Amino acid sequence: MLLHVGAFHLDIDSKQLTPWHSLTPQTRLLCTLLIVFAIALTPNGRWLTWVIYGLGVLGVIGVSRVTLPVLLKRIVVEFAFVGVVLLGTLFRGGGETIWSWGSLKVTTVGLVVLGSVTLKALLSLLMLNVLTLTTSIPALLNALVILRVPPLLVAILASMYRYINVLLKEFNAMRTAAKSRNFGGSPRWQRQVIGNMFGSLFIRTYERGERVYQAMQARGYQGVPVVTSVPSGGWRDIVSLTLTAIVALLGQAIYLLQ
Amino acid sequence: MHHNPIAIEHLCYTYPDGTHALRDVNLSIKANERVALIGANGSGKSTLQLHLNGIILPQEGTVTVGEWPVLAENLRVIRNFVGLVFQNPDDQLFMPTVWEDVAFGPMNLGLRDEELIERVCQAMQAVNIDPDCYGSRSTENLSGGEKKRIAIAGVLAMHPQVLVLDEPSAQLDPRSRRQLIELLQSLKLTQLIATHDLDLALELCDRTIVLSQGQVVFDGKTEYIMNDSAFLVEHALEPPLSYSRPYCLLEHTPLGSALSGRYS
Repeated sequence: MLLHVGAFHLDIDSKQLTPWHSLTPQTRLLCTLLIVFAIALTPNGRWLTWVIYGLGVLGVIGVSRVTLPVLLKRIVVEFAFVGVVLLGTLFRGGGETIWSWGSLKVTTVGLVVLGSVTLKALLSLLMLNVLTLTTSIPALLNALVILRVPPLLVAILASMYRYINVLLKEFNAMRTAAKSRNFGGSPRWQRQVIGNMFGSLFIRTYERGERVYQAMQARGYQGVPVVTSVPSGGWRDIVSLTLTAIVALLGQAIYLLQ
Repeated sequence: MHHNPIAIEHLCYTYPDGTHALRDVNLSIKANERVALIGANGSGKSTLQLHLNGIILPQEGTVTVGEWPVLAENLRVIRNFVGLVFQNPDDQLFMPTVWEDVAFGPMNLGLRDEELIERVCQAMQAVNIDPDCYGSRSTENLSGGEKKRIAIAGVLAMHPQVLVLDEPSAQLDPRSRRQLIELLQSLKLTQLIATHDLDLALELCDRTIVLSQGQVVFDGKTEYIMNDSAFLVEHALEPPLSYSRPYCLLEHTPLGSALSGRYS
């Protein structure tokens, strides 16, 4: 399926020893979120800001020593999804028209918006992918709980992570069973059958949810997930958070100095 | 250790769609007994087991676990007393890593830090799973036997007095099944094992309860009932495989020595 290579083993670079890895998961998460918000909240057209942020992101990539081919492969896949949205921004009205065809107009404003959104998407995706490559999902979920995200929400995310593979396997099993009985024919029939498969998968998932809940109750679940141990930070965490904040502010300030 | 951990009297249960799952079930299990619960599909075994830790509350009749009747206010202590291992380990292993899953029960009991680590390590060692090797592995990519053992470890970590197992040897290869039998033999707990694997019941349990269409039709010695093929067939069961072939090796048959001479 289209999901990333390596059958859900997302964090292939998490067992290294670099300054980035010596930070606690919650610090890494906070730095990532800070930079992503700074990148996303910059108004369109501020190219220098993104140059500075881009240097910061490249710095993190260098320090964390992630496997570049894997990183680039994932970016390409994610961009395929984002690209469809990006194309829509090209046809924004306003400014001079550079090229037109019927009612579709490519304007300067449209180009600026396209360039900005592309850069924003690229830099944010790079940073987020570095995070998922270097931090295991259970550690990330733990970090979310420490950062006071509602524990029930984190439990839902954990269940999703745990069971998405199971669902994929069940769907593949259904597809194989259909193929073994010569599944084919008109596209309309195929769509109908796959729709039915999704429906039956939904019902099975619902019943599985009931059984999992019973298993949780059988082991004393009271309704609120419990927090596990908190990895303690150190001077590196404070330094990296400060550095991230400085880079974020610098990027914004550069236009004030002009 | 409570002397009479499970006492069920006149238990009846009907599903919302009208199926009579249990009809007037009476049984009592003494401490340290290993009891096999056998019956055809749909005879009510799972329904009965779900009553034992309060997932289903009795509609008619009483279920008493230790000194507590199964009522909504006693559920917490009952679930510490009775550990239920479900049939499909995928339904039971719901945390991202093995360590977190085994620690789920003790954490809900309120254990932390040193005590928690000790409890989890103890439980994993009881089922022969190395905590260092398996602790941070994902619960997804394990073999069936490993998943079953970790599911049992997760229940053992709560230190129950009664272990209730639903089809423990289903989908296990012969070696995993043998390891499971040895494990259950080594655990000094009261056990109620619902199974279709009659050879496992014969090997592990002295006492067998046969359920048929929601009623207890036999409650007594395992060897007695396993010999009674007519009774078993009447209730959609069969004698165990170890009883249907009187001789395991050809050499043991009356003409064995002559036959083995011809084939060797």
